[in-house]
Amino acid sequence: MIRASVVWGLVRRELGESLRSRWFVLYSGIFLVGALALTMFGLSSSEIYGYRGFAKVMAGLVHLALLFVPLMALFPATAAIAGEREIGSLEYLVSQPISFSELFWGKWLGVSLAVWLSLLLGFGLAGAVAVFNGTPWQLIATLLALTLLLAEAFVAIGLLCSILARTRARATSAGLVVWIVTIGLGTLGIMGAMLRWGLPRFVLTFWAFANPVEAFRLGVIASLDSDGSLLGPVGSAWMSSLGAGGVITLCLVFLVLWTLVPTALAWWQFRRPQAWSAV
Amino acid sequence: MAAMIQARGLSKRFGSRTVLSDLNFSVERGQRLALLGLNGAGKTTLLRCVMGVLSFEGSIEVDGVDVASAGKQARSHIGYVPQRPPLFQMTLATMVEFFSTLRGIPSAAIAERLEALGLPLAETGEQDLRELSGGMLQKVLLAVALAGDPPVLLLDEPTASLDPRARGEFMRALREVSPETTVLLASHRLDEVEMVADRIWILHDGVRVFDGTLDDLRAKAGADRWLWVRTHEQQRDVVRDQFVRKAGEHAVVANGTQVAVQLSAAGRAEALAQLQRSGVPIEDFWVVGPSLEEIVQGFFTGEDS
Repeated sequence: MIRASVVWGLVRRELGESLRSRWFVLYSGIFLVGALALTMFGLSSSEIYGYRGFAKVMAGLVHLALLFVPLMALFPATAAIAGEREIGSLEYLVSQPISFSELFWGKWLGVSLAVWLSLLLGFGLAGAVAVFNGTPWQLIATLLALTLLLAEAFVAIGLLCSILARTRARATSAGLVVWIVTIGLGTLGIMGAMLRWGLPRFVLTFWAFANPVEAFRLGVIASLDSDGSLLGPVGSAWMSSLGAGGVITLCLVFLVLWTLVPTALAWWQFRRPQAWSAV
Repeated sequence: MAAMIQARGLSKRFGSRTVLSDLNFSVERGQRLALLGLNGAGKTTLLRCVMGVLSFEGSIEVDGVDVASAGKQARSHIGYVPQRPPLFQMTLATMVEFFSTLRGIPSAAIAERLEALGLPLAETGEQDLRELSGGMLQKVLLAVALAGDPPVLLLDEPTASLDPRARGEFMRALREVSPETTVLLASHRLDEVEMVADRIWILHDGVRVFDGTLDDLRAKAGADRWLWVRTHEQQRDVVRDQFVRKAGEHAVVANGTQVAVQLSAAGRAEALAQLQRSGVPIEDFWVVGPSLEEIVQGFFTGEDS
Protein backbone atom coordinates (compact mmCIF):
# COMPACT_ATOMS: atom_id res chain seq x y z
CA MET A 1 0.00 0.00 0.00
CA ILE A 2 1.28 3.43 -0.93
CA ARG A 3 1.23 5.86 2.02
CA ALA A 4 0.19 9.37 1.00
CA SER A 5 2.16 10.94 3.87
CA VAL A 6 5.41 9.37 2.64
CA VAL A 7 4.79 10.30 -1.00
CA TRP A 8 3.91 13.84 0.05
CA GLY A 9 7.09 14.05 2.16
CA LEU A 10 9.14 13.04 -0.90
CA VAL A 11 7.19 15.46 -3.13
CA ARG A 12 7.83 18.36 -0.77
CA ARG A 13 11.53 17.62 -0.70
CA GLU A 14 11.69 17.35 -4.50
CA LEU A 15 9.78 20.60 -4.87
CA GLY A 16 12.04 22.36 -2.40
CA GLU A 17 15.19 21.17 -4.18
CA SER A 18 13.83 22.21 -7.61
CA LEU A 19 12.80 25.64 -6.39
CA ARG A 20 16.24 26.15 -4.84
CA SER A 21 18.00 25.17 -8.07
CA ARG A 22 19.49 28.22 -9.79
CA TRP A 23 18.94 26.74 -13.24
CA PHE A 24 15.30 26.08 -12.53
CA VAL A 25 14.73 29.61 -11.29
CA LEU A 26 16.64 31.02 -14.27
CA TYR A 27 14.70 29.30 -17.05
CA SER A 28 11.41 29.69 -15.21
CA GLY A 29 12.14 33.42 -15.09
CA ILE A 30 13.06 33.51 -18.79
CA PHE A 31 9.89 31.60 -19.61
CA LEU A 32 7.75 34.00 -17.56
CA VAL A 33 9.30 37.11 -19.10
CA GLY A 34 9.11 35.59 -22.60
CA ALA A 35 5.46 34.58 -22.20
CA LEU A 36 4.50 38.03 -20.90
CA ALA A 37 6.46 39.83 -23.62
CA LEU A 38 4.94 37.73 -26.43
CA THR A 39 1.45 38.24 -25.01
CA MET A 40 1.81 41.99 -24.74
CA PHE A 41 3.31 42.21 -28.22
CA GLY A 42 0.63 39.99 -29.76
CA LEU A 43 -2.18 41.86 -28.03
CA SER A 44 -0.96 45.18 -29.35
CA SER A 45 -1.37 43.67 -32.85
CA SER A 46 -4.88 42.44 -32.05
CA GLU A 47 -6.09 45.99 -31.88
CA ILE A 48 -5.30 46.19 -35.58
CA TYR A 49 -5.99 42.66 -36.75
CA GLY A 50 -8.76 41.50 -34.37
CA TYR A 51 -8.91 37.71 -33.87
CA ARG A 52 -5.77 37.17 -35.90
CA GLY A 53 -3.96 39.12 -33.17
CA PHE A 54 -5.01 36.49 -30.62
CA ALA A 55 -3.74 33.89 -33.04
CA LYS A 56 -0.45 35.73 -33.05
CA VAL A 57 -0.35 35.63 -29.25
CA MET A 58 -1.07 31.91 -29.34
CA ALA A 59 1.48 31.23 -32.06
CA GLY A 60 4.11 33.12 -30.09
CA LEU A 61 3.31 31.22 -26.88
CA VAL A 62 3.25 27.89 -28.72
CA HIS A 63 6.71 28.45 -30.14
CA LEU A 64 8.00 29.56 -26.75
CA ALA A 65 6.53 26.42 -25.22
CA LEU A 66 7.94 24.22 -28.00
CA LEU A 67 11.46 25.36 -27.23
CA PHE A 68 11.36 25.88 -23.49
CA VAL A 69 8.90 23.42 -21.97
CA PRO A 70 10.82 20.26 -22.97
CA LEU A 71 14.01 21.77 -21.52
CA MET A 72 12.26 22.93 -18.36
CA ALA A 73 10.98 19.40 -17.83
CA LEU A 74 14.09 17.52 -18.94
CA PHE A 75 16.62 19.32 -16.74
CA PRO A 76 15.08 18.54 -13.32
CA ALA A 77 13.83 15.12 -14.44
CA THR A 78 17.22 13.91 -15.72
CA ALA A 79 18.83 15.07 -12.46
CA ALA A 80 16.15 13.58 -10.20
CA ILE A 81 17.45 10.00 -10.05
CA ALA A 82 20.97 10.14 -11.48
CA GLY A 83 21.89 13.16 -9.36
CA GLU A 84 20.66 11.50 -6.18
CA ARG A 85 22.38 8.27 -7.07
CA GLU A 86 25.68 10.14 -7.51
CA ILE A 87 25.58 11.71 -4.04
CA GLY A 88 24.52 8.44 -2.40
CA SER A 89 21.18 9.74 -1.16
CA LEU A 90 19.06 7.45 -3.35
CA GLU A 91 20.60 4.33 -1.87
CA TYR A 92 20.00 5.72 1.60
CA LEU A 93 16.37 6.49 0.78
CA VAL A 94 15.86 2.97 -0.56
CA SER A 95 17.14 1.57 2.76
CA GLN A 96 14.37 3.37 4.67
CA PRO A 97 11.02 1.70 5.47
CA ILE A 98 9.43 2.97 2.28
CA SER A 99 8.53 1.05 -0.86
CA PHE A 100 10.04 1.50 -4.30
CA SER A 101 6.57 2.63 -5.43
CA GLU A 102 6.44 5.40 -2.83
CA LEU A 103 9.92 6.60 -3.74
CA PHE A 104 9.27 6.47 -7.49
CA TRP A 105 5.91 8.25 -7.35
CA GLY A 106 7.26 10.78 -4.86
CA LYS A 107 10.00 11.64 -7.34
CA TRP A 108 7.65 11.62 -10.32
CA LEU A 109 5.09 13.85 -8.66
CA GLY A 110 7.68 16.15 -7.14
CA VAL A 111 9.40 16.87 -10.44
CA SER A 112 6.06 17.16 -12.24
CA LEU A 113 4.67 19.61 -9.71
CA ALA A 114 7.80 21.75 -9.80
CA VAL A 115 7.64 21.98 -13.60
CA TRP A 116 3.88 22.53 -13.56
CA LEU A 117 4.21 25.32 -10.99
CA SER A 118 6.77 27.07 -13.11
CA LEU A 119 4.59 26.74 -16.24
CA LEU A 120 1.45 27.82 -14.44
CA LEU A 121 3.26 30.90 -13.23
CA GLY A 122 4.53 31.78 -16.74
CA PHE A 123 1.49 30.87 -18.80
CA GLY A 124 -0.90 31.71 -15.99
CA LEU A 125 0.21 35.33 -15.81
CA ALA A 126 0.48 35.68 -19.60
CA GLY A 127 -2.90 33.94 -20.02
CA ALA A 128 -4.53 36.18 -17.45
CA VAL A 129 -3.25 39.24 -19.28
CA ALA A 130 -4.50 37.82 -22.61
CA VAL A 131 -7.94 36.90 -21.24
CA PHE A 132 -8.23 40.29 -19.54
CA ASN A 133 -7.63 41.85 -22.96
CA GLY A 134 -10.31 39.82 -24.69
CA THR A 135 -8.65 36.58 -25.77
CA PRO A 136 -11.16 33.70 -25.40
CA TRP A 137 -10.31 31.85 -22.17
CA GLN A 138 -10.96 28.51 -23.86
CA LEU A 139 -7.94 29.09 -26.11
CA ILE A 140 -5.70 29.85 -23.16
CA ALA A 141 -7.07 26.88 -21.20
CA THR A 142 -6.43 24.54 -24.14
CA LEU A 143 -2.91 25.89 -24.55
CA LEU A 144 -2.24 25.51 -20.84
CA ALA A 145 -3.64 21.96 -20.70
CA LEU A 146 -1.61 20.83 -23.72
CA THR A 147 1.50 22.55 -22.33
CA LEU A 148 1.17 20.69 -19.03
CA LEU A 149 0.75 17.42 -20.95
CA LEU A 150 3.82 18.21 -23.06
CA ALA A 151 5.77 18.92 -19.88
CA GLU A 152 4.60 15.67 -18.34
CA ALA A 153 5.71 13.69 -21.39
CA PHE A 154 9.21 15.18 -21.08
CA VAL A 155 9.27 14.64 -17.32
CA ALA A 156 8.61 10.94 -18.02
CA ILE A 157 11.28 10.80 -20.73
CA GLY A 158 13.72 12.66 -18.47
CA LEU A 159 13.13 10.29 -15.56
CA LEU A 160 13.71 7.31 -17.82
CA CYS A 161 17.02 8.85 -19.00
CA SER A 162 17.90 9.53 -15.36
CA ILE A 163 17.29 5.93 -14.34
CA LEU A 164 19.12 4.40 -17.30
CA ALA A 165 22.17 6.70 -17.32
CA ARG A 166 25.03 5.92 -14.93
CA THR A 167 25.86 9.55 -14.17
CA ARG A 168 23.99 12.83 -13.94
CA ALA A 169 26.11 14.28 -16.77
CA ARG A 170 25.14 11.39 -19.05
CA ALA A 171 21.48 11.71 -18.10
CA THR A 172 21.53 15.45 -18.89
CA SER A 173 23.32 14.78 -22.19
CA ALA A 174 20.71 12.17 -23.08
CA GLY A 175 18.00 14.70 -22.25
CA LEU A 176 19.60 17.28 -24.53
CA VAL A 177 19.81 14.73 -27.35
CA VAL A 178 16.09 13.98 -26.87
CA TRP A 179 15.35 17.70 -27.00
CA ILE A 180 17.38 18.26 -30.17
CA VAL A 181 15.90 15.20 -31.87
CA THR A 182 12.29 16.10 -31.02
CA ILE A 183 12.76 19.71 -32.08
CA GLY A 184 14.71 18.68 -35.20
CA LEU A 185 12.18 16.04 -36.20
CA GLY A 186 9.37 18.57 -36.03
CA THR A 187 8.25 20.71 -38.93
CA LEU A 188 11.73 20.93 -40.40
CA GLY A 189 12.15 17.18 -40.31
CA ILE A 190 8.80 16.57 -41.97
CA MET A 191 9.50 19.09 -44.69
CA GLY A 192 12.95 17.62 -45.29
CA ALA A 193 11.58 14.07 -45.41
CA MET A 194 8.88 15.07 -47.87
CA LEU A 195 11.40 16.76 -50.14
CA ARG A 196 14.08 14.07 -49.87
CA TRP A 197 12.09 10.83 -49.88
CA GLY A 198 8.56 11.77 -50.80
CA LEU A 199 7.23 9.65 -47.92
CA PRO A 200 3.57 8.57 -48.02
CA ARG A 201 1.07 10.59 -46.05
CA PHE A 202 0.43 8.02 -43.31
CA VAL A 203 4.17 7.88 -42.49
CA LEU A 204 4.31 11.65 -42.26
CA THR A 205 1.15 11.67 -40.17
CA PHE A 206 2.58 9.12 -37.77
CA TRP A 207 5.91 11.00 -37.73
CA ALA A 208 4.11 14.22 -36.79
CA PHE A 209 1.91 12.76 -34.07
CA ALA A 210 4.53 10.39 -32.70
CA ASN A 211 6.78 13.32 -31.85
CA PRO A 212 5.50 14.85 -28.59
CA VAL A 213 6.63 18.34 -29.57
CA GLU A 214 4.87 18.11 -32.92
CA ALA A 215 1.76 16.52 -31.37
CA PHE A 216 1.58 19.47 -29.00
CA ARG A 217 1.98 21.98 -31.84
CA LEU A 218 -0.68 20.29 -33.95
CA GLY A 219 -3.08 20.09 -31.01
CA VAL A 220 -2.78 23.76 -30.13
CA ILE A 221 -3.03 24.97 -33.71
CA ALA A 222 -5.99 22.69 -34.42
CA SER A 223 -7.80 24.17 -31.43
CA LEU A 224 -7.03 27.66 -32.65
CA ASP A 225 -7.48 27.34 -36.38
CA SER A 226 -10.56 25.33 -37.35
CA ASP A 227 -9.74 25.15 -41.10
CA GLY A 228 -6.15 24.05 -40.53
CA SER A 229 -4.67 26.66 -42.82
CA LEU A 230 -1.91 27.39 -40.28
CA LEU A 231 -0.87 23.74 -40.48
CA GLY A 232 -0.11 23.94 -44.19
CA PRO A 233 -1.51 21.71 -46.94
CA VAL A 234 -0.91 18.43 -45.05
CA GLY A 235 -2.48 19.85 -41.92
CA SER A 236 -5.45 21.07 -43.87
CA ALA A 237 -5.92 17.59 -45.29
CA TRP A 238 -5.84 16.06 -41.76
CA MET A 239 -8.28 18.65 -40.53
CA SER A 240 -10.64 17.92 -43.42
CA SER A 241 -10.48 14.16 -42.88
CA LEU A 242 -10.33 14.02 -39.03
CA GLY A 243 -11.88 17.33 -38.08
CA ALA A 244 -10.39 19.64 -35.44
CA GLY A 245 -11.76 17.41 -32.68
CA GLY A 246 -10.15 14.33 -34.21
CA VAL A 247 -6.76 16.01 -34.58
CA ILE A 248 -6.87 17.31 -31.00
CA THR A 249 -7.91 13.88 -29.70
CA LEU A 250 -5.09 12.21 -31.60
CA CYS A 251 -2.63 14.75 -30.20
CA LEU A 252 -3.90 14.14 -26.68
CA VAL A 253 -3.65 10.37 -27.12
CA PHE A 254 -0.04 10.60 -28.29
CA LEU A 255 0.94 13.04 -25.54
CA VAL A 256 -0.61 10.75 -22.93
CA LEU A 257 1.17 7.76 -24.49
CA TRP A 258 4.45 9.72 -24.39
CA THR A 259 3.83 10.12 -20.66
CA LEU A 260 2.62 6.60 -19.88
CA VAL A 261 5.13 4.53 -21.85
CA PRO A 262 8.34 6.17 -20.54
CA THR A 263 6.85 6.26 -17.03
CA ALA A 264 6.08 2.54 -17.21
CA LEU A 265 9.60 1.81 -18.51
CA ALA A 266 11.13 4.02 -15.82
CA TRP A 267 9.08 2.27 -13.13
CA TRP A 268 10.15 -1.12 -14.45
CA GLN A 269 13.83 -0.14 -14.51
CA PHE A 270 13.79 1.64 -11.15
CA ARG A 271 13.90 -1.60 -9.13
CA ARG A 272 17.19 -2.68 -10.69
CA PRO A 273 20.08 -2.18 -8.22
CA GLN A 274 21.93 -0.22 -10.92
CA ALA A 275 19.14 2.37 -10.82
CA TRP A 276 19.61 3.33 -7.18
CA SER A 277 23.00 2.03 -6.10
CA ALA A 278 26.03 4.28 -6.41
CA VAL A 279 28.38 1.28 -6.32
CA MET B 1 17.45 -16.66 22.61
CA ALA B 2 15.16 -15.56 19.80
CA ALA B 3 16.63 -15.23 16.32
CA MET B 4 16.42 -11.62 15.17
CA ILE B 5 17.73 -12.38 11.69
CA GLN B 6 17.16 -15.78 10.17
CA ALA B 7 18.34 -16.73 6.67
CA ARG B 8 17.81 -20.00 4.85
CA GLY B 9 19.45 -20.90 1.56
CA LEU B 10 20.35 -17.28 0.85
CA SER B 11 21.96 -16.85 -2.56
CA LYS B 12 22.44 -13.78 -4.70
CA ARG B 13 23.69 -13.65 -8.25
CA PHE B 14 24.44 -10.66 -10.45
CA GLY B 15 24.26 -12.13 -13.93
CA SER B 16 26.56 -15.12 -13.97
CA ARG B 17 28.50 -13.95 -10.89
CA THR B 18 27.51 -15.54 -7.58
CA VAL B 19 27.94 -13.01 -4.77
CA LEU B 20 26.28 -14.95 -1.95
CA SER B 21 26.07 -18.71 -2.05
CA ASP B 22 23.56 -20.76 -0.07
CA LEU B 23 23.99 -19.04 3.32
CA ASN B 24 22.09 -20.41 6.29
CA PHE B 25 22.39 -18.47 9.51
CA SER B 26 20.64 -16.89 12.45
CA VAL B 27 21.68 -13.87 14.49
CA GLU B 28 20.23 -13.63 17.98
CA ARG B 29 18.72 -10.61 19.69
CA GLY B 30 21.46 -8.36 21.08
CA GLN B 31 24.23 -10.17 19.22
CA ARG B 32 27.00 -8.04 17.64
CA LEU B 33 28.20 -9.59 14.43
CA ALA B 34 31.13 -8.30 12.38
CA LEU B 35 31.32 -9.15 8.69
CA LEU B 36 34.85 -9.35 7.39
CA GLY B 37 36.21 -10.16 4.01
CA LEU B 38 38.15 -8.78 1.13
CA ASN B 39 36.52 -6.28 -1.22
CA GLY B 40 33.83 -8.00 -3.27
CA ALA B 41 33.38 -10.76 -0.68
CA GLY B 42 29.65 -10.06 -0.45
CA LYS B 43 29.40 -8.03 2.80
CA THR B 44 27.42 -5.10 1.39
CA THR B 45 25.28 -7.41 -0.71
CA LEU B 46 24.40 -9.41 2.41
CA LEU B 47 23.34 -6.24 4.24
CA ARG B 48 21.26 -5.15 1.24
CA CYS B 49 19.55 -8.52 1.10
CA VAL B 50 18.77 -8.30 4.83
CA MET B 51 17.18 -4.89 4.15
CA GLY B 52 15.21 -6.39 1.29
CA VAL B 53 16.38 -3.87 -1.29
CA LEU B 54 17.90 -6.61 -3.44
CA SER B 55 16.02 -9.62 -4.70
CA PHE B 56 17.57 -12.96 -3.68
CA GLU B 57 17.04 -16.70 -3.62
CA GLY B 58 16.10 -18.36 -0.34
CA SER B 59 14.50 -16.57 2.59
CA ILE B 60 15.38 -13.98 5.22
CA GLU B 61 13.31 -13.01 8.22
CA VAL B 62 14.01 -9.92 10.31
CA ASP B 63 12.23 -9.95 13.68
CA GLY B 64 9.87 -12.54 12.23
CA VAL B 65 9.03 -10.49 9.13
CA ASP B 66 9.69 -12.07 5.74
CA VAL B 67 11.99 -9.64 3.92
CA ALA B 68 11.15 -10.79 0.39
CA SER B 69 7.40 -10.31 0.71
CA ALA B 70 7.31 -7.42 3.23
CA GLY B 71 10.53 -5.48 2.66
CA LYS B 72 9.08 -2.17 3.78
CA GLN B 73 7.81 -3.66 7.05
CA ALA B 74 11.13 -5.44 7.61
CA ARG B 75 13.04 -2.18 7.08
CA SER B 76 10.95 -0.54 9.81
CA HIS B 77 12.76 -2.95 12.18
CA ILE B 78 16.17 -1.89 10.83
CA GLY B 79 18.38 1.16 11.29
CA TYR B 80 21.09 1.60 8.68
CA VAL B 81 24.28 3.64 8.41
CA PRO B 82 25.96 3.52 4.99
CA GLN B 83 29.61 3.70 4.13
CA ARG B 84 29.39 7.12 2.48
CA PRO B 85 27.14 9.76 4.03
CA PRO B 86 24.60 10.97 1.46
CA LEU B 87 24.81 14.70 0.74
CA PHE B 88 21.23 15.82 1.17
CA GLN B 89 20.57 19.44 0.24
CA MET B 90 18.62 20.42 3.34
CA THR B 91 19.06 21.70 6.87
CA LEU B 92 19.38 19.30 9.76
CA ALA B 93 15.93 20.34 11.06
CA THR B 94 14.36 19.63 7.65
CA MET B 95 16.14 16.29 7.51
CA VAL B 96 14.74 15.34 10.91
CA GLU B 97 11.21 16.17 9.71
CA PHE B 98 11.75 14.36 6.41
CA PHE B 99 13.08 11.14 7.90
CA SER B 100 10.54 11.09 10.69
CA THR B 101 7.91 11.07 7.93
CA LEU B 102 9.67 8.30 6.00
CA ARG B 103 10.27 6.17 9.09
CA GLY B 104 6.84 6.83 10.56
CA ILE B 105 8.21 8.01 13.90
CA PRO B 106 7.85 11.34 15.74
CA SER B 107 10.56 13.86 14.86
CA ALA B 108 11.23 14.20 18.60
CA ALA B 109 12.59 10.63 18.54
CA ILE B 110 15.34 11.66 16.10
CA ALA B 111 15.92 14.95 17.94
CA GLU B 112 16.45 13.05 21.21
CA ARG B 113 19.02 10.78 19.59
CA LEU B 114 20.80 13.79 18.08
CA GLU B 115 20.93 15.42 21.50
CA ALA B 116 22.35 12.24 23.04
CA LEU B 117 25.05 12.24 20.34
CA GLY B 118 25.99 15.84 21.08
CA LEU B 119 24.08 17.44 18.22
CA PRO B 120 21.19 19.31 19.87
CA LEU B 121 18.72 20.41 17.24
CA ALA B 122 18.26 23.80 18.88
CA GLU B 123 21.90 24.63 18.06
CA THR B 124 22.49 22.71 14.85
CA GLY B 125 19.01 22.58 13.28
CA GLU B 126 19.56 25.39 10.79
CA GLN B 127 22.90 24.04 9.56
CA ASP B 128 22.97 22.83 5.97
CA LEU B 129 23.88 19.14 5.93
CA ARG B 130 26.47 19.78 3.22
CA GLU B 131 28.34 22.04 5.65
CA LEU B 132 28.67 19.31 8.30
CA SER B 133 31.86 17.28 8.58
CA GLY B 134 31.83 13.64 7.53
CA GLY B 135 31.97 12.56 11.17
CA MET B 136 29.00 14.73 12.15
CA LEU B 137 27.03 13.47 9.16
CA GLN B 138 27.62 9.86 10.14
CA LYS B 139 26.47 10.68 13.67
CA VAL B 140 23.33 12.27 12.23
CA LEU B 141 22.71 9.07 10.24
CA LEU B 142 23.32 7.01 13.37
CA ALA B 143 20.74 9.15 15.20
CA VAL B 144 18.23 8.54 12.39
CA ALA B 145 19.06 4.83 12.43
CA LEU B 146 18.58 4.51 16.20
CA ALA B 147 15.45 6.67 16.45
CA GLY B 148 12.39 4.60 17.18
CA ASP B 149 14.62 1.88 18.70
CA PRO B 150 14.71 -0.57 15.79
CA PRO B 151 15.85 -4.00 17.03
CA VAL B 152 18.42 -4.34 14.21
CA LEU B 153 21.24 -1.96 13.30
CA LEU B 154 23.18 -2.45 10.06
CA LEU B 155 26.50 -0.61 9.73
CA ASP B 156 28.19 -0.82 6.33
CA GLU B 157 31.80 0.29 6.92
CA PRO B 158 30.46 3.43 8.60
CA THR B 159 33.87 4.94 9.32
CA ALA B 160 35.51 4.15 5.98
CA SER B 161 35.39 7.78 4.83
CA LEU B 162 36.25 9.36 8.20
CA ASP B 163 39.53 10.74 9.56
CA PRO B 164 40.90 9.15 12.77
CA ARG B 165 39.32 11.74 15.09
CA ALA B 166 35.88 11.47 13.49
CA ARG B 167 36.24 7.69 13.50
CA GLY B 168 36.89 7.74 17.24
CA GLU B 169 33.87 9.99 17.82
CA PHE B 170 31.64 7.71 15.78
CA MET B 171 32.81 4.62 17.62
CA ARG B 172 32.15 6.34 20.96
CA ALA B 173 28.71 7.27 19.64
CA LEU B 174 28.00 3.59 19.11
CA ARG B 175 27.83 3.29 22.92
CA GLU B 176 24.35 4.76 22.55
CA VAL B 177 23.25 1.50 20.97
CA SER B 178 21.12 -0.52 23.35
CA PRO B 179 22.51 -3.92 24.41
CA GLU B 180 19.23 -5.37 23.16
CA THR B 181 19.97 -4.20 19.62
CA THR B 182 21.28 -6.73 17.13
CA VAL B 183 24.20 -5.21 15.22
CA LEU B 184 25.69 -6.28 11.89
CA LEU B 185 28.90 -4.38 11.19
CA ALA B 186 30.75 -4.69 7.89
CA SER B 187 34.25 -3.41 8.51
CA HIS B 188 37.88 -3.49 7.48
CA ARG B 189 39.14 -2.22 10.83
CA LEU B 190 40.23 -4.52 13.63
CA ASP B 191 39.84 -1.88 16.36
CA GLU B 192 36.20 -1.39 15.39
CA VAL B 193 35.55 -5.09 15.30
CA GLU B 194 37.19 -5.48 18.72
CA MET B 195 35.05 -2.66 20.15
CA VAL B 196 31.74 -3.77 18.72
CA ALA B 197 31.59 -7.43 17.81
CA ASP B 198 31.17 -10.54 19.89
CA ARG B 199 30.96 -12.77 16.83
CA ILE B 200 32.84 -12.60 13.55
CA TRP B 201 32.16 -14.00 10.13
CA ILE B 202 34.52 -14.00 7.23
CA LEU B 203 32.93 -14.03 3.83
CA HIS B 204 34.89 -15.14 0.81
CA ASP B 205 33.40 -15.30 -2.66
CA GLY B 206 29.92 -15.26 -1.12
CA VAL B 207 30.60 -18.18 1.22
CA ARG B 208 30.95 -17.92 5.00
CA VAL B 209 34.38 -19.41 5.66
CA PHE B 210 34.66 -18.50 9.35
CA ASP B 211 32.19 -18.09 12.22
CA GLY B 212 33.56 -17.46 15.70
CA THR B 213 35.09 -14.94 18.08
CA LEU B 214 38.06 -12.70 17.40
CA ASP B 215 40.28 -14.91 19.56
CA ASP B 216 39.15 -17.95 17.57
CA LEU B 217 40.04 -16.09 14.42
CA ARG B 218 43.47 -15.04 15.68
CA ALA B 219 44.19 -18.58 16.72
CA LYS B 220 42.97 -20.01 13.44
CA ALA B 221 44.75 -17.43 11.32
CA GLY B 222 47.94 -17.84 13.32
CA ALA B 223 48.65 -14.14 13.03
CA ASP B 224 50.85 -13.14 15.99
CA ARG B 225 51.20 -9.69 17.46
CA TRP B 226 54.27 -7.50 17.16
CA LEU B 227 56.39 -6.74 20.23
CA TRP B 228 58.09 -3.36 19.83
CA VAL B 229 61.07 -2.44 21.98
CA ARG B 230 62.85 0.92 22.22
CA THR B 231 66.44 0.78 23.39
CA HIS B 232 69.67 2.79 23.21
CA GLU B 233 71.05 3.36 19.75
CA GLN B 234 74.18 1.30 20.39
CA GLN B 235 72.10 -1.62 21.73
CA ARG B 236 69.74 -1.77 18.78
CA ASP B 237 71.69 -4.40 16.84
CA VAL B 238 72.01 -6.56 19.97
CA VAL B 239 68.24 -6.56 20.39
CA ARG B 240 67.74 -7.19 16.71
CA ASP B 241 70.15 -10.16 16.72
CA GLN B 242 68.35 -11.70 19.72
CA PHE B 243 64.97 -11.31 18.00
CA VAL B 244 66.22 -12.76 14.74
CA ARG B 245 67.63 -15.81 16.57
CA LYS B 246 64.23 -16.27 18.23
CA ALA B 247 61.82 -15.66 15.35
CA GLY B 248 63.83 -15.52 12.16
CA GLU B 249 64.79 -12.66 9.84
CA HIS B 250 61.33 -12.48 8.27
CA ALA B 251 59.64 -11.71 11.63
CA VAL B 252 61.84 -8.79 12.68
CA VAL B 253 61.85 -5.13 11.67
CA ALA B 254 63.94 -2.22 12.96
CA ASN B 255 63.34 1.49 12.74
CA GLY B 256 65.77 3.90 14.41
CA THR B 257 66.12 2.84 18.06
CA GLN B 258 63.01 0.64 17.81
CA VAL B 259 63.01 -3.06 17.00
CA ALA B 260 59.95 -5.27 16.56
CA VAL B 261 59.43 -9.00 16.48
CA GLN B 262 56.28 -10.93 15.61
CA LEU B 263 55.62 -13.63 18.18
CA SER B 264 52.90 -15.44 20.11
CA ALA B 265 51.98 -14.17 23.60
CA ALA B 266 54.28 -16.68 25.28
CA GLY B 267 57.06 -15.90 22.83
CA ARG B 268 56.78 -12.16 23.50
CA ALA B 269 57.05 -12.67 27.29
CA GLU B 270 60.05 -14.92 26.84
CA ALA B 271 61.76 -12.46 24.47
CA LEU B 272 61.35 -9.61 26.97
CA ALA B 273 62.67 -11.76 29.81
CA GLN B 274 65.65 -12.75 27.65
CA LEU B 275 66.49 -9.10 26.97
CA GLN B 276 66.34 -8.33 30.69
CA ARG B 277 68.56 -11.32 31.53
CA SER B 278 71.16 -10.17 29.02
CA GLY B 279 71.17 -6.69 30.59
CA VAL B 280 69.95 -4.80 27.53
CA PRO B 281 68.43 -1.48 28.63
CA ILE B 282 64.77 -1.24 27.56
CA GLU B 283 63.39 2.32 27.43
CA ASP B 284 59.87 1.29 26.44
CA PHE B 285 57.94 -1.58 24.91
CA TRP B 286 54.47 -2.06 23.46
CA VAL B 287 52.44 -4.62 21.56
CA VAL B 288 50.75 -3.99 18.25
CA GLY B 289 48.18 -6.40 16.90
CA PRO B 290 48.18 -7.60 13.36
CA SER B 291 45.89 -5.65 11.05
CA LEU B 292 42.60 -7.15 10.08
CA GLU B 293 43.98 -7.59 6.58
CA GLU B 294 46.89 -9.61 8.02
CA ILE B 295 44.52 -11.76 10.06
CA VAL B 296 42.14 -12.34 7.16
CA GLN B 297 45.05 -12.91 4.81
CA GLY B 298 46.62 -15.25 7.37
CA PHE B 299 43.31 -17.03 7.65
CA PHE B 300 43.20 -17.67 3.92
CA THR B 301 46.86 -18.68 3.87
CA GLY B 302 46.11 -21.14 6.67
CA GLU B 303 43.12 -22.49 4.79
CA ASP B 304 45.18 -22.92 1.63
CA SER B 305 47.90 -24.82 3.42
